Amino acid sequence: MLLMEPEDMLRRTVSLTARSLGMAEIHEAASPSLARQLLREQRFHGLVLAIDCGGIHDFSLLDQVRQGKTASSPAIPIAVLAERCDAGLIAALRERDVNRIILKPFRARVLLDTFAVLSAAANERA
Amino acid sequence: MIPAPMPPNEAERIAALYSLLILDTPPEQRFDTIVEFAASEFDVPIALISLLDHERQWFKSAVGLGDVCETSRDISFCGHAIMRGDIMVVPDALEDLRFADNPLVAGPPHIRFYAGAPLLLPNGYALGTLCIIDTRPRDFDATDMAILSTLRQLVVQQLANGEAAGE
Repeated sequence: MLLMEPEDMLRRTVSLTARSLGMAEIHEAASPSLARQLLREQRFHGLVLAIDCGGIHDFSLLDQVRQGKTASSPAIPIAVLAERCDAGLIAALRERDVNRIILKPFRARVLLDTFAVLSAAANERA
Repeated sequence: MIPAPMPPNEAERIAALYSLLILDTPPEQRFDTIVEFAASEFDVPIALISLLDHERQWFKSAVGLGDVCETSRDISFCGHAIMRGDIMVVPDALEDLRFADNPLVAGPPHIRFYAGAPLLLPNGYALGTLCIIDTRPRDFDATDMAILSTLRQLVVQQLANGEAAGE
């Protein structure tokens, strides 16, 4: 599993807690560029991606995955973290077959639950 | 009320705490960030990094206590929490003989729920706790315990970093 989230405390807390609970291993990326590099090099079974970038939504990582331009299957389950949501965003995420959207602010616990759901979805697909 | 007990290694524990040169130092963002995250994550009015000195608990970082920066050790919940390695949870202080008539329960800040994770340094001494407090009874499940334990780990890392920098 890969978590791309710029906020350090949230990202570290989720990945360390997931490890202590024996959940799927969560790799961390603090930026889209680091996530892009990890996605090129490693195969993941699920992604949680923050898509806010300077007031706009950045779908480039999502598109890379869905277009099969990473080491992972294009069909892996994906959840998206966003500051706000409107009909346009919902449509864009549906078009990219996103499994779940989580609006900020949210608790680390919500992300842990999300990873559990994504893991189950990935296992079903396997 | 049962006063906070003294651990058998109290003299060495105090020496380890003093060697960090952290008591009575100003607030630091690296600790405040963790405490603010804990208060938000668990939706509690009070979160603390409490360090246990001879006769007081002193707060290196605190959310929700205003200008209070210490209380006496004998009435502290954290004094009980450092007696064990794992997290101490008090779901309802009024139902707990150790705390039911504690002044911090009977009066401000009217503690009902407490969860405290001992700050165990690599040398084995529990210097204090990262704790969260509510004014209403609460449940605390395994995921909550795991998250608080992670945050405790981050505090201990910061304490250890300070120790290494001072050497």
